Amino acid sequence: MVVANAPDTRAKIIRLFTFLGGIYFFSYFVLPESVVESIGIKERHEQISNGFIVVGAMALGLGLFNIIRAHGTKVVFQRSGWRNSLALLVGLFGTIGIMSAQWIGALQVSRDVQDVQMIGEYASKLMAEKITQGAPISMLQGYSKEQLDRASSLIKVRPESQLTSAQRLLEQDLSRKISDLRADGLLTRVDIDEQALAGFAQRAHEVASSYSVFRQSLSSGTTVQRLYDFLYDGLFNQLGSAMFALLGVYIAAAAYRAFRVRTIESALMMSAAVIVMLGQISFGKEIYEGMPSLRQWLLEVPNSAAFRAIRLGAGIAGLMLAIRMWLSIESKSFSSEKK
Amino acid sequence: MGGLEHATPGILIVLLGACYLLYRELRRVGAGYHHYIRRIAGVDAIEGSVGRCAEQGKSVFFTTALTDVGPVLFACLGVLHSIAKRVAQYKLKLQVPQYSPEAMALVEDTVREAYRDAGRANAFDPESIRFLSSEQFAFASGYMGLMHREKAGAAFLFGVFAAEALVLAEAGQQVGARQVAASVSPEQVAFFICTCEYTLIGEELFGASAYMSREPVQVATLAAQDRFKLFFILLIVVGVAMATLQPWVPDIAPYMPHRLMTRDWSSLSW
Repeated sequence: MVVANAPDTRAKIIRLFTFLGGIYFFSYFVLPESVVESIGIKERHEQISNGFIVVGAMALGLGLFNIIRAHGTKVVFQRSGWRNSLALLVGLFGTIGIMSAQWIGALQVSRDVQDVQMIGEYASKLMAEKITQGAPISMLQGYSKEQLDRASSLIKVRPESQLTSAQRLLEQDLSRKISDLRADGLLTRVDIDEQALAGFAQRAHEVASSYSVFRQSLSSGTTVQRLYDFLYDGLFNQLGSAMFALLGVYIAAAAYRAFRVRTIESALMMSAAVIVMLGQISFGKEIYEGMPSLRQWLLEVPNSAAFRAIRLGAGIAGLMLAIRMWLSIESKSFSSEKK
Repeated sequence: MGGLEHATPGILIVLLGACYLLYRELRRVGAGYHHYIRRIAGVDAIEGSVGRCAEQGKSVFFTTALTDVGPVLFACLGVLHSIAKRVAQYKLKLQVPQYSPEAMALVEDTVREAYRDAGRANAFDPESIRFLSSEQFAFASGYMGLMHREKAGAAFLFGVFAAEALVLAEAGQQVGARQVAASVSPEQVAFFICTCEYTLIGEELFGASAYMSREPVQVATLAAQDRFKLFFILLIVVGVAMATLQPWVPDIAPYMPHRLMTRDWSSLSW
């Protein structure tokens, strides 16, 4: 085979890892499922695949570095358009800061909610295993008291005057549910029957659910969350939608240029487009009864045939190139031969 | 075949056949066999477009858009290498806006090497490979802005595209850039035909690099893929003939190509 010479060790290592990675995925694909299961790869495949994703995720830093280098240089040397670059960098770091703060806050809320959820889950587990006395019950009682005390103190973090009417209602409901759970004999009794444990588990789940709603409602009013909503929902999503909306205008402009009947090909293209558009609307049926069927035929027969041909050709070409990449059979232009 | 987790014996045979075809063509080309490559007007236009930029003193744009690291990107890099080399020879400015950070590292390496091959390694400007965003429409708006500011003379749109295809191509059209597009996404081909001077469809993208560089390994790959495609066309013809004959010869049903290809390992008797 024509394999380009690899003069340096780095290139050899890259080729070795490419080959090993390729042979793993190739073997996983070509070996029968029973063989893959018997040698124990099946259960580890997801972890291995995730490992490759993690390696890819490291490249994200490259993008960030590129932006900082390109725009940072402009700002430092005050080159033309440096103010725009400064705005970009301020926006970038501001967004990173706000997104990180929001993420840390959401993580804390999720952890607190999980702690409370554990009460119900633990009680349900004991119920399922029919454990109604002994050390597991004492542990459940101790853990429940600790978490309910913590939850009670956390929901009082903000003064009532700062809560909205909806939040106040949520807080009252949650406080009542926590009190009910505390009042449950289970937290102090030694001998518990299964029915009492089932009732406790259900009430604990209700407390966890209300607690989750209340905490999320509280965090939605924070400055960080408001800034996040403004940046993500207010700016980012809206600007993305605006760009997408531009497509409508561009389609009309491009269609005008392409559908001017100057050649047989453009005449064919325009006729097909007119039939498809008329077949899509009810007015098309008024012109000719069979217009929707004609549209359907155009889309399903000639159009699908062309699509399949393109996909088949590209798929085969991609397969050949993939084999070449796997075996590192590269032409001189991509080898590491330095001049 | 979508969602197939493990190959059937039929698929394994086809894959091994593909490997053999590639090996055979590499051997033939290595031994000096010359393959004829048909002219593609779109590929010829690439060279013409770069030349036009040299006359006008305008910059050249090349984007791989949403293409991630994979065979399509490597096919695009072959074309980028040829374009970057000419850009370096003509002392033009090249802009390669980036969507994927992983792809960016490979793109930068390719352009750097092209400049080195052209004997102008010092002229390579790392800032010409600019990461815009990993968000589809943020990338599209960044590309539009860059195109309008630079007023490019030529733009090459190669790779995988989605809804942003028309936005990118229209931006080039608005500044009067001569555009050549190549996409493996059939849904976007129609948009490119409407907005670009030349459009390479599907596998032509993979052939473009071999056509431009005439490098033996790339030409051998092109020859192997053509032969492999011929095999598939024969398979389709045989399948159609067998499906047509099936009402009269019902016994041929188990031997239809699609049945043979999808037959599981468990159906084999050793």
